[in-house]
Parts: sequence; C-alpha cells; structure tokens
Amino acid sequence: MSCNPSFGGIGKGHLMREVDALDGLCSRICDQSGVHYKVLNRRKGPAVWGLRAQIDRKLYKQNMQKEILNTPLLTVQEGAVEDLILTEPEPEHTGKCRVSGVVLVDGSTVYAESVILTTGTFLRGMIVIGLETHPAGRLGDQPSIGLAQTLEKLGFVVGRLKTGTPPRIAKESINFSILNKHIPDNPSIPFSFTNETVWIKPEDQLPCYLTHTNPRVDEIVLKNLHLNSHVKETTRGPRYCPSIESKVLRFPNRLHQVWLEPEGMDSDLIYPQGLSMTLPAELQEKMITCIRGLEKAKVIQPGYGVQYDYLDPRQITPSLETHLVQRLFFAGQINGTTGYEEAAAQGVIAGINASLRVSRKPPFVVSRTEGYIGVLIDDLTTLGTSEPYRMFTSRVEFRLSLRPDNADSRLTLRGYKDAGCVSQQRYERACWMKSSLEEGISVLKSIEFLSSKWKKLIPEASISTSRSLPVRALDVLKYEEVDMDSLAKAVPEPLKKYTKCRELAERLKIEATYESVLFHQLQEIKGVQQDEALQLPKDLDYLTIRDVSLSHEVREKLHFSRPQTIGAASRIPGVTPAAIINLLRFVKTTQRRQSAMNESSKTDQYLCDADRLQEREL
Amino acid sequence: MWRGLWTLAAQAARGPRRLCTRRSSGAPAPGSGATIFALSSGQGRCGIAVIRTSGPASGHALRILTAPRDLPLARHASLRLLSDPRSGEPLDRALVLWFPGPQSFTGEDCVEFHVHGGPAVVSGVLQALGSVPGLRPAEAGEFTRRAFANGKLNLTEVEGLADLIHAETEAQRRQALRQLDGELGHLCRGWAETLTKALAHVEAYIDFGEDDNLEEGVLEQADIEVRALQVALGAHLRDARRGQRLRSGVHVVVTGPPNAGKSSLVNLLSRKPVSIVSPEPGTTRDVLETPVDLAGFPVLLSDTAGLEQADLILAMLDASDLASPSSCNFLATVVASVGAQSPSDSSQRLLLVLNKSDLLSPEGPGPGPDLPPHLLLSCLTGEGLDGLLEALRKELAAVCGDPSTDPPLLTRARHQHHLQGCLDALGHYKQSKDLALAAEALRVARGHLTRLTGGGGTEEILDIIFQDFCVGK
Repeated sequence: MSCNPSFGGIGKGHLMREVDALDGLCSRICDQSGVHYKVLNRRKGPAVWGLRAQIDRKLYKQNMQKEILNTPLLTVQEGAVEDLILTEPEPEHTGKCRVSGVVLVDGSTVYAESVILTTGTFLRGMIVIGLETHPAGRLGDQPSIGLAQTLEKLGFVVGRLKTGTPPRIAKESINFSILNKHIPDNPSIPFSFTNETVWIKPEDQLPCYLTHTNPRVDEIVLKNLHLNSHVKETTRGPRYCPSIESKVLRFPNRLHQVWLEPEGMDSDLIYPQGLSMTLPAELQEKMITCIRGLEKAKVIQPGYGVQYDYLDPRQITPSLETHLVQRLFFAGQINGTTGYEEAAAQGVIAGINASLRVSRKPPFVVSRTEGYIGVLIDDLTTLGTSEPYRMFTSRVEFRLSLRPDNADSRLTLRGYKDAGCVSQQRYERACWMKSSLEEGISVLKSIEFLSSKWKKLIPEASISTSRSLPVRALDVLKYEEVDMDSLAKAVPEPLKKYTKCRELAERLKIEATYESVLFHQLQEIKGVQQDEALQLPKDLDYLTIRDVSLSHEVREKLHFSRPQTIGAASRIPGVTPAAIINLLRFVKTTQRRQSAMNESSKTDQYLCDADRLQEREL
Repeated sequence: MWRGLWTLAAQAARGPRRLCTRRSSGAPAPGSGATIFALSSGQGRCGIAVIRTSGPASGHALRILTAPRDLPLARHASLRLLSDPRSGEPLDRALVLWFPGPQSFTGEDCVEFHVHGGPAVVSGVLQALGSVPGLRPAEAGEFTRRAFANGKLNLTEVEGLADLIHAETEAQRRQALRQLDGELGHLCRGWAETLTKALAHVEAYIDFGEDDNLEEGVLEQADIEVRALQVALGAHLRDARRGQRLRSGVHVVVTGPPNAGKSSLVNLLSRKPVSIVSPEPGTTRDVLETPVDLAGFPVLLSDTAGLEQADLILAMLDASDLASPSSCNFLATVVASVGAQSPSDSSQRLLLVLNKSDLLSPEGPGPGPDLPPHLLLSCLTGEGLDGLLEALRKELAAVCGDPSTDPPLLTRARHQHHLQGCLDALGHYKQSKDLALAAEALRVARGHLTRLTGGGGTEEILDIIFQDFCVGK
C-alpha cells in the first residue's frame, strides 16, 4: 500500500468481493487490518453498495507477509528484475518467443514456466516535486529501466501515465477538535465472504475527519503554477483522482473536500485525501496551514507526482497473457489501471492463468456478464485506455446482476471447478448459500395470499388492497419496509428457517428487490454469452488471411487487439458489421469443418464397436 | 446503429435484446430472443407488400392480428382479415403464411403477411405488429443474421451476406442521416442529450455522491429533466397522428356559404354522386363521409361534417358572389380564423377555392385583390381541377407525411417503437425507490433513444460526469 491508506469504495468494493470469491488475499487481509469500516451508498440500493475501509498500513503489510510466507510450496525471493530470459516459442501457440525466467539486478537468474510482471509505477518511473524531477518508482525506490527497455525492444507499444500522492501530516499537529468527525459503521461489514466479523470492534476503530479548502489555497496554487511542472505536462493523469492543482484549475472558486484519514492504529501520520499535489515542498506546508484545522500542521513527507510507463493493454489477452511473448503475463498499473483493487483483480486472474498455462489447461476468463473483473479486463483488452483506468459502477452494463452480495455465486463455483483456485471450505459455503437462496426464492414464490390478508399479517407494509389478487411472498418482500424477519413473523412456516442465517435473509431481500429486472437482464446476458461463445482462432493472421474479406483498417485493428471472441471483436471501435459477419462466417466454417471431422471419427468408433459386436456374435 | 446487431459495447445503450439462441432442432424456446418484424418487399407503392416476422412470438402475433381465427395450416397460404389488436379496426384482407421453426427462412417461427401494397395498409400492419408485446422492428440485416446463426444459409449465400449487411447498414445510415436532418431528428437528438445528461448526473451521484462534494440537488435536477422529457415524449407520441391518418384517412371537410358548390366539388372529387346536388341552397342535410383516394392518400371527404374534425378544410366561395354578406361573413370568420393560426401549432390546414370561375367574365378583373391565396375552379367545366388536385396533394402530404420523402414506414414504426419504449422506461424511473433500479430505467430509456440517434457509450456518461463535477480525491 504505497498510496492511500484505504481499500474498497464504490465499484472497487465490488472488485474486492470478486477477488475474495476467487480466494484472492486482499479482502481477507483487510478484514484483519482495517481501522475504520464503512459501507458507502447505503441509501442507494444494494447493487451499488461500496464496501470500504481505512487500513493500517503496517498491519496490512505484516498480515500479508505472514500469509504469503506461510503458504505451502511457495518460495519467496526478493530482488529487482532487470531483464527477461527468452527462448524459442512453443509452436502450438502464437507469440514470437517464450519467457522462461527473469534476470535480477545482481545478475542472478530465476527460471520459471511462466512470469507475471506487476511493475506498478516503476517502469521508467519519474518523481516530480515542483520543478525537480528524479528517477524513482516511488519515493526512496529505484525505477525499473532495464526491464522497460527490454519490453520496448520486444515490440510492445508503450505509453506514459501520471498519478500523484498527497503530503503526509503529523497527527499531533492537527487540531481535530474543530473538525467534522466521522465514525465507522456499527456493525462493521467484512470484505470477505468467509468472515462474519472483522478483527476489531466498531468502538475501538479510528474516526476520520473532514475539512475543506478555501480561496487562499486556490491563490497559492494559481500564483505558483510556474513552479509546478507536473501539472503542465501533457502526460495523461486520471480525471477522477485529480491533484488539488487540477481541481483548482478546472473548478475555480469552490471549496474542495479534504478527508483526514488515519494511516494506522499507532501511526503518527495522517493522510489528507484530496490534497494530492506537486508544488515545491516548502509551498506545500504553506498551503496546508491555510486550511481549517491544519493551521499548525507539520508536513512529514511532501506530496509528489509520479510519471511511469504502461503498455497498451490491447496487447494482452483476457487471460492477461501477452500476445507477443508466450507465458508472460501483465497485471496492475503496467496495463494502465490505477487502484489497489483494480490491481488485485488483475493479479488474481493473472495468477490463475499463469498456473493454468503451465499445466496446459484452458485459460480462466471472466466475462462482462459475470463480474466487474470481466468488465475491467474486457475494457482494457478491447478498448485500451488513455488515462489511468479506474472501476466505476457506471461502466458495468449488468450492474443489477453483478452485486457485492452475490460475487460468490458468480465466481466461487467457477473458480473451484475451472481454475482450482478456491479452497474446499469456501466452495462448500458458496454451494450451500447458492442452493439455500434458490430454495428460499422458490418458497417465497410459492406462498400466495390475497393482498388484504398480507395487509393484516404485516400492517406496516404499504400494500395496496384495492385489488383482490393473490400476491406472492416474494412480491411482499419487495416493499422497502418488509424484510425476511417480518415475513417470517407473518408466515413462520416455512419461512422461519431462512432468517436463521443473517446473510441469507439479507440476500433474499436483495434478490426480491431486483427480481423483475433481473429476469430481463438474464435474457440480455444470454445474448451476450452467445457471442462470447463464438471463439475466434488464436492464430488467425488478420493481416494476410485471404478467406475473410476485411478492409485494411479493420485488419489492423483486429491484428492489434486480437479479440478472442466474436463478442469482443464487435466491441472494438471501427470494426464494422460487415467485418463481423465475415468473421462469423469464418468461425462457422471452421467449426463446421471441425465438427464434420469429429463426426467421422465418431462413426469410425461406432463401426469398430459394431465389428466387435459381430465378432462376439460369431 | 449496427452495433445493436451484436452484443455490443454499448450494452450501456441497451435496447431490448435481440439475438436469437442457436438451437439444433425443435421449436424456439420461449424467451429465446425478441421477435422482429420488417417490410421485406421494397418501400413505396406496389401491388403486394410482404411483411415478415421472425422469433418465438410470431405465432402469437399472427393469432392476435387475425383473431378470432386460429393459426393457419403450416406453410399454406390462407386468406385472413387483419385487424389492429388495439382498436379492432380492420386493416386489410391479406394472404398469411405460417412457418413454424425450424423449417423457415431464419430457422425460427416466421410469419409472412402479403398485404395490399398501399402505404396506409403497410403502415397499419407494421404499427399493429409493433403493438404486440415481444415484437419490435428489425435492425438492418437482422433476419439474415438470424438465418445465418441458425445454419439456414449455405456458404454461397453467405458470400453475399456481408455485402448485403453492408448495403443495408449503409441504406439505414443514409436514411438515418436524412431523417436526422429533419425536425424529428432534431427532436430526438435533443431528447437523447437531455437524457444522457440526466443519466450522467444520476450515475455521478451513485459513483461519487458519498465521499465527494457533488453539488446539492443533482438528483432533483435529473428528476426535473426526466419529468420534462416524459411530457415532451408523451405529447409527441400523442401527436404522431400522421401514420394514423394515413391508415384511417384524412378528414377533408368542404365548407362554405350555402350554394357555393360544396356538394358539386365532393361529387367531382369522388367521381360519383354522393350528395344531393341542387341549385336550391341548403339541400345537403345528412352527414356523409365519402372515402376517396386523392393522389394516393386515403381521404374521408365530407361537406357536412363539423370543422373541428377536419384535418384539411376546403373553403369554398362562389367567385361570382364574393361581395354578398354570406361570402364576406364566411371569409371573416372561417377563413381568417384558420389562417390566423401559425402553421406550426395548427394541425388544421385550409385551402380557399373560388368556384364557378366559368361565371366570371373572361376579360373582367380577377375576383379581388384583398383575398387570401386561393384557387380558381369551375365544378361545371372542370377547369382548374388539375391545379386543385396538385394543391391538395401537397396539403395531404403535409398532413400525412409523404411516403416518398418522409422517413419510410418501417423507420416510422421503429421510431414509434423506441420512443414508446423510452417513455415506458421513464415511467419506471419515477416509481423506483432504489437508485440503482432508477438508473437502470434511465439506461434502458437512453438505449431506446440512442438506437435512433446513434452513440450511447459509457464514455459519454463519464465525460459528462468529469466535465460537470469536481469528483475524486
């Protein structure tokens, strides 16, 4: 955790739930290391709830290291990677070479069947404060230059992105007593499906504080633009995580929020969320002391900007393996994303696939219809990105289906069966939950009373009794003021048992809320999945292939992105319907040829059996 | 627009889904995809027009349009009376063919309606189909694509398919462009813009509302915009009577002072005596509406009906009697009042016809310089009739929409379908307490509009969010 001391948030919390559903680590570690748990968007509907927590940096690091170092069969070696070891490609796969290990900065080598690069901001990383720049991956760490050169030489298309981090402030120098105090949720909602509670009681958690910028802050920014090279650069930074300088420039004359967040239980530092800046260090303190509550604040470490290389993510497959180099996988900021959660989502997918690749199993790909992870990776691999990519719920077309509550039903079962990445215990829990939900929903559908009877049973529900039609219990559960408890009180048999597990009861309520829309969404999802099921051959050479009539422009686009399915191809901007039809035809002919071949081999088999039968009869 | 064919990027821009499932055999599973319909013969006037449907609800649609009859024998031509399921109004006596899947062109359940080719009938049947739940107008190339997906086209046929799709897409694009230049296009773009902005604000409230300081009243503003949009769309759909006029006939009322020759004109236009014509004033008593075909438009002609029902008023005066009190009075009341309405807000049109031009002396001065624009006619000699017919054609085209220059019928059905879909979805927005559900309703509504205007990706939404709000920490 080298930037903000928090995990989750809106959209990001969804990713964490999905990472956890695949037995990824970050959610479980966060449940052991958080100091302030809060669910965002509580009032806006369970589909967009955002699980979030302030995390103790030190605890997170300790707990994560403990978990990793205690993982059976895992060897951990630390060292900066300088180069890749490349060998002849495997003939049955595309790619011009194969990676077989890495060279460390001390010249030693580590051989591997597959390699995942997660370079963060280190590839040719450059730190900017004021007018000063110096090469660094993050403050105090060397950048990775040799590796960047190797990747460029291999032919990867490289781009440049920037991000920033705020100064850190000494806790005891802040006057919290005049600031707006925000306390955590009670009870805390854990990130992981396997946890019912987090490690710390709500009353022992730390508060956050809110303050605001003022016109004097604007003035300091505007007066010192000439001392601020990061702001002027053309490198693309994120629009949604802007520095205080860009906020002042783009939205002048406004008060901007500054959240004062704890860095940890026993940390002396406060992280001023919203004050990412690259002014010269002395001006940073001057600006900060203009802000209410920070009048006497001491800056312990200045904020700074980072500029770094990323590789156009259209050069990787949905399993995160590169097109160019076999068995080389990319995850995180190297693919143009930002955020711990986005990185974790790619990390778990890259890890699964690196392992599947070695054991020669088919890749594990999450579709847009299955999870935020799928949306993230599909956006990256088909559209690329020109700014640090962050997850938003608005990017997700099936938002009502892909909720934080049901990530386990969506991914855990697949993860267990197709990827082998899920523990037996988690798998069994997800299976139990899934079948209980299905059973519960069908029971709720089967209970029908006239609306007048419902009204008598649950007087607090705003059920209209004007029409005397039978109403299902599931429809009654849709009312805001009704939950499983009130339903079970009204109809104890057979509903009582569904209230014993809190999570089950809550999830039934959520399913009821979205039931009618989910039915339609399911139809749409089926449609998308049909196109996703039409695979394009991986070794198709779009530039030279003759059987498909395609314009040069479309060929170039397909060649670069190498979509794996007709669905992905159709999402690439500029690929025309005519091109899609041509591709479709190509796929169909290939399929037909293949199934004809399978058919004939089956016939042979049958003939053999028949022969044997005859022999026996004789 | 083509992206709708596929599963598309802008699933955000979702309209109803329309991919059919691939089945190896058997009848279509219910809910395996939307049922599509289209005019599959050419546009314009022709003897017989063929309208085709494909998809699981085809049989249902056929039963509904031919109620109370049952489905005809599969693959046999049968004569059926088609009527509009909403009004029960008869549309046409047509030849219908029922092709249960998989033995059909697309492999799905299909129906063919062979109807009489007039624009009124075709538009009527298309709109009737559009009103059947589960049916929607086909997108370019969609029939062919379904056929292809179901393995119904062999490879030689497929050779030409890409070209066909390309041509169809091109044609639709050009059509869309032409349309989008027009008033309707302007309206649709405006609505789409409003809706996109409202959605962006709701999405911003969801994705950023909690921790960032969005301005107060973001949601309230979106609510106001959605409400205004609902009103505008509702009014537009109610006013979209052109298609209906084309189906049921334009009400043309001939009016004027007694004995100006109203009945003679009706008889002349209908070419058969329908009114009792007499030189005695006030002979016409009963309301008579004569259905006639004027320059290709179905017209209900009447010389007795009230003016308030009229789409087009033919105001008649006796050219030789303009100075009489009854003529002056008529000019001052009827002609002046209809003429005074501005052309945009008036749904009524008026043509001033001066009859009995044969009575004017050939050398004499014209009927008078103060008169509004008018046409001269002699019902007795037929002089001036061609000029009147040409003027009528223009007026009728304006009232009904001219099939040769207006968006074609199919496009119109598509428009209506998506506008209605948009309006319905906006209704759900209001009812939803859960904000994610409310946003979903807006997404569906926007999907319908962007089907008509193009665009509709998520990026547009994010662009607006970052442009309008200072979000992020």
